[in-house]
Amino acid sequence: MKALDKTTAQKIKLAIFVIAGLSLFILGVYLIGNQQSMFGSNARIFATFNNINGLKIGNNVRYGGLNVGTVKGIRMVNDSTIVVDLTIKKDALGYIRKNAKAALGTDGLVGNMIINIVPGSEEIGLLNAEDTIHSYRRITTEDMLSTLNVTNENAAMLTADLLKITRAINSGEGTISYLLKDSTMALNLEQSIRYFRQTAASTSKMISHMDDLIVSLNNKNNVIGLLRDSVTANQLKSVVSNLETTGNDMNKLVANLNATVTRAKEGDGAINYLSNDKSLVKKIDTSVNSLDATLHNLNEASIKLNENLEALKHNILFRGYFKKLEKEKEKQLEKEIK
Amino acid sequence: MGTQKTINSLQVFLTEVGDISYFAGRFFTDVFKRPFEFKEFLRQCYNMGNRSLLLVGVTGFIIGLVFTLQSRPTLQEFGAVAWMPSMVGISIIREIGPIITALICAGRIGSGIGAELGSMRVTEQIDAMEVSGTNPFKYLVITRILATTFMLPILVIIGDAIALYGSYLVENIKGDVSFQLYFSEVFSSLEFGDVIPSTIKSFFFGFAIGLVGCYKGYNCDKGTEGVGLAANSAVVYTSLLLFVIDFVAVLVADLFYEL
Repeated sequence: MKALDKTTAQKIKLAIFVIAGLSLFILGVYLIGNQQSMFGSNARIFATFNNINGLKIGNNVRYGGLNVGTVKGIRMVNDSTIVVDLTIKKDALGYIRKNAKAALGTDGLVGNMIINIVPGSEEIGLLNAEDTIHSYRRITTEDMLSTLNVTNENAAMLTADLLKITRAINSGEGTISYLLKDSTMALNLEQSIRYFRQTAASTSKMISHMDDLIVSLNNKNNVIGLLRDSVTANQLKSVVSNLETTGNDMNKLVANLNATVTRAKEGDGAINYLSNDKSLVKKIDTSVNSLDATLHNLNEASIKLNENLEALKHNILFRGYFKKLEKEKEKQLEKEIK
Repeated sequence: MGTQKTINSLQVFLTEVGDISYFAGRFFTDVFKRPFEFKEFLRQCYNMGNRSLLLVGVTGFIIGLVFTLQSRPTLQEFGAVAWMPSMVGISIIREIGPIITALICAGRIGSGIGAELGSMRVTEQIDAMEVSGTNPFKYLVITRILATTFMLPILVIIGDAIALYGSYLVENIKGDVSFQLYFSEVFSSLEFGDVIPSTIKSFFFGFAIGLVGCYKGYNCDKGTEGVGLAANSAVVYTSLLLFVIDFVAVLVADLFYEL
């Protein structure tokens, strides 16, 4: 009985061990199969490529970065077309347009090959099962090597030409050779550079001054700064407006004066007579001369009268009167001072 | 003299290979013949499977931990720590899990079978079984070879799972990677081309352990020295054979799955 119990316990333990191992195996297989879209509702579509770059069965298919399926088969249909069978989840198929494109890529920098489905335009209908999508042509290593080959050939030609030029320069042919070998040219160049440096320093100084000037222009203390002031600008506007009005008035005045002068010149008035009659001028001249003589006589008479009056001041009869006048003047002056 | 020695060694080797082949042929002839020693088979399964589980589990766990700890700094240099689950998963499932488990079992089970059957041969228990009418080959050899053949794949699967868990623990502690993310990354990088060949080769590993262990024990020389030699040579031959089988398995798997 005891031995039987032991055997039964061993059997149970063995069963647990086996079940655990098989469960782990089944779980692992299920998870791997699930990753490869083996379970669930799937649809089959095709993608055509010219070059699949080592794509293998089982590689992932992505749409918008999501794993939506796997590569189920690869077959060559002619010398330049390879058709890849893709198993896509039916849920994802409801979002892929008929003009979507397949592009080969790698998972990471050096990862497995993957197929990226690039979304198509919205106005085109949705993709159905068994439909075919086209692919972008990917730049292959051969393409890059071919381009590199052309580049290398060009580089070789350039190098050959450069060699010819260098040899010509070394043998003293051409302008460049002359420039390189002429020692005075170097001195001139050095001098030019020195001048250029001085010029640059001066220019720098000048720019600094100009900068100061430009800064000062913003200052309202000077004319331009004042001009930049809006109040001053308005005032100037007003002044200009007034000047314009004055100018108009002046024009009118000048026109009137012009008319007056014309009338004076051509009319029968006194001014025309005065300006044109030469005898009248002579008469006036004579009159002025006699007036001048008369005034001279009057001047002399007044001097003599002054002398007479001075003499009267010192006369006994009139001295009192003049003193009285002086006293009144003084009184008047004191009053004004007070 | 030297050539003669080489010829003798070659002769011994070929005789040994021929004997083992004959032994294997006898196994395939008798395995389908009645009576089936089912109880003994289950007992051997328990002895070889359940009793090896702790050793395989601990070894797998340590292998997972150490492998991740050792690889991490190198991957970190390249900024490729995110590839750790994929790398560890593929390495353990494809190669490390099966071969390490098989080597452990070769040491524990192969030597055990060699020593057990060897001592039975030395003490003439096998002869006694023959006299008593029990077929010792069916009772002792077939049950043991079948037990190792069927138990080793299960041990490998459990060992792989424990090793991956050990690796996950390191990633979780060092890189703050969640359980779901780690195992999602592991299984996204695995394919049937990784799991199926390694599982199939585990059956061959188990068969080789059982076959060599039983052969060495069943054909043990008389004397106590023969028992020790049987146990020792069972481990040595099995270990060598495991690597040969592994090499052939990889070549065959490459034909079918383009690894």
